[in-house]
Amino acid sequence: MLEIKNIYKAFGNNEVLKGVSLKVEKGDVVVILGPSGSGKTTLLRSIDFLEKADAGEIIFDDIHAEFARISKKTISQIRKKTAFVFQNYNLFHNKTALQNVTEGLIIARKLPKEKAIEIGKRALDKVGLSERYDYYPSQLSGGQQQRVGIARAIAVNPDIILFDEPTSALDPELIGEVLGVMKELAKEGTTMIVVTHEMHFAQDVANRVVFMDGGRVVEEGTPDEMFSRPKEERTRQFLRRILPDFDYVI
Amino acid sequence: MRSFHPSYILEVLIQLLPFLWVTVAMVIGTVFFGGAVGILLAAAKVRKGRITRLLANIYIYITRCIPSVIMLFIVYYGLPELLLGFGIDINHVGKGFFVITTFSILFAANMAEVFRSAYEAVDKGQKEAAASIGMTSWQTFYRILLPQCTVVALPNFANALVNLMKEGSLAYTIGLIDIMGKGQLLIGMNHGSYALETYLALTILYWVLTFVVEKSFGVLEKHLSKGKKALSQA
Repeated sequence: MLEIKNIYKAFGNNEVLKGVSLKVEKGDVVVILGPSGSGKTTLLRSIDFLEKADAGEIIFDDIHAEFARISKKTISQIRKKTAFVFQNYNLFHNKTALQNVTEGLIIARKLPKEKAIEIGKRALDKVGLSERYDYYPSQLSGGQQQRVGIARAIAVNPDIILFDEPTSALDPELIGEVLGVMKELAKEGTTMIVVTHEMHFAQDVANRVVFMDGGRVVEEGTPDEMFSRPKEERTRQFLRRILPDFDYVI
Repeated sequence: MRSFHPSYILEVLIQLLPFLWVTVAMVIGTVFFGGAVGILLAAAKVRKGRITRLLANIYIYITRCIPSVIMLFIVYYGLPELLLGFGIDINHVGKGFFVITTFSILFAANMAEVFRSAYEAVDKGQKEAAASIGMTSWQTFYRILLPQCTVVALPNFANALVNLMKEGSLAYTIGLIDIMGKGQLLIGMNHGSYALETYLALTILYWVLTFVVEKSFGVLEKHLSKGKKALSQA
């Protein structure tokens, strides 16, 4: 469904992505792991054109384009098929929870207002915020804000949702509620790519885990392969540091 | 020298009131034209074009270094000369035109900075979020960014407005009869007597004007910052 081929991206002299390829099929939950600075967030942002990649190709269903010379029209076509959940939620401060969710439907997708509100309410109900339609982001907790962020993403009915460290800005006791919603989405067959440090989420929910380091994909496989029999020494080092009880099987 | 007559303050006040509209019209005209130019300057500063940004910076730098009273005379004497060079005669145009032109030039530079800093104060993530749900840059600007930067700009805008109103009193130097101009005329007619009473009457008028501006902007700010208000409480 979505394929990224050989993507390159540099910020000035700093090469962040050095030829990364990634393939996602419908219904996949791909978790990208890696130390900070490994390029995982940049990869995710490049897929949604929040960063402009220097080279590489993107294939999305029947759309085939090169990052270096992609047109505004193609970008908007691909963005209509995707949704993005941000680390810092990035809810619109001047809009209520419901308006945050309906904005993209009414303004970008030109849906009638009543229809958009109906979809918006359903999306908020789904993330457990049926009591918070008219709250402004500043009146919500971090976990609630991120759930609005997720509702905003699912409301546009995307083919794939990109999650950029959705829980790393949250207090530990709020992480669970967000991961719970994400798990629920995964169960329903939502295709998603998740950049995260939540190892348990990767183990329990992902059907593919990609480990990145230094702007490259070091290794990828099923959670089982990755967590119990990683092939690369770099992967083992990383997992040993992150998971205290990590003990791979030889 | 005459003794101080507090009762004369009221008398002057009544004579000044009919000229209040001149002061107000000067402010409104300046806010309109100066604000419009200020928006263009701010846009030039935040956009990518290097030349437009340089031009905007030069404009702001130069105008900020000129005291209003000097600018007033430069415009009053210089603009007719300049336009005559293009065959346009504005020697018979009213003084209000020169006053509004002068203060618009100065106000625009202030506004450019107010608008630019407000625009830059809005988190870049807002733009990204809008892009990610498929909004165009124009939709993002007027639906998301503009409402948010308006709230940020409001206090500075109100401040600039109050300053403009007070600096506007310099317009009497080229002979505009606003409340200040009329006050000067009254003092002249009294051969310099009751000057203190006249200036006190003017003080009261400017104080009332400032009070009205600050109160109305306070109400406006409260109304517009719905999403932001709770943030300060949290």
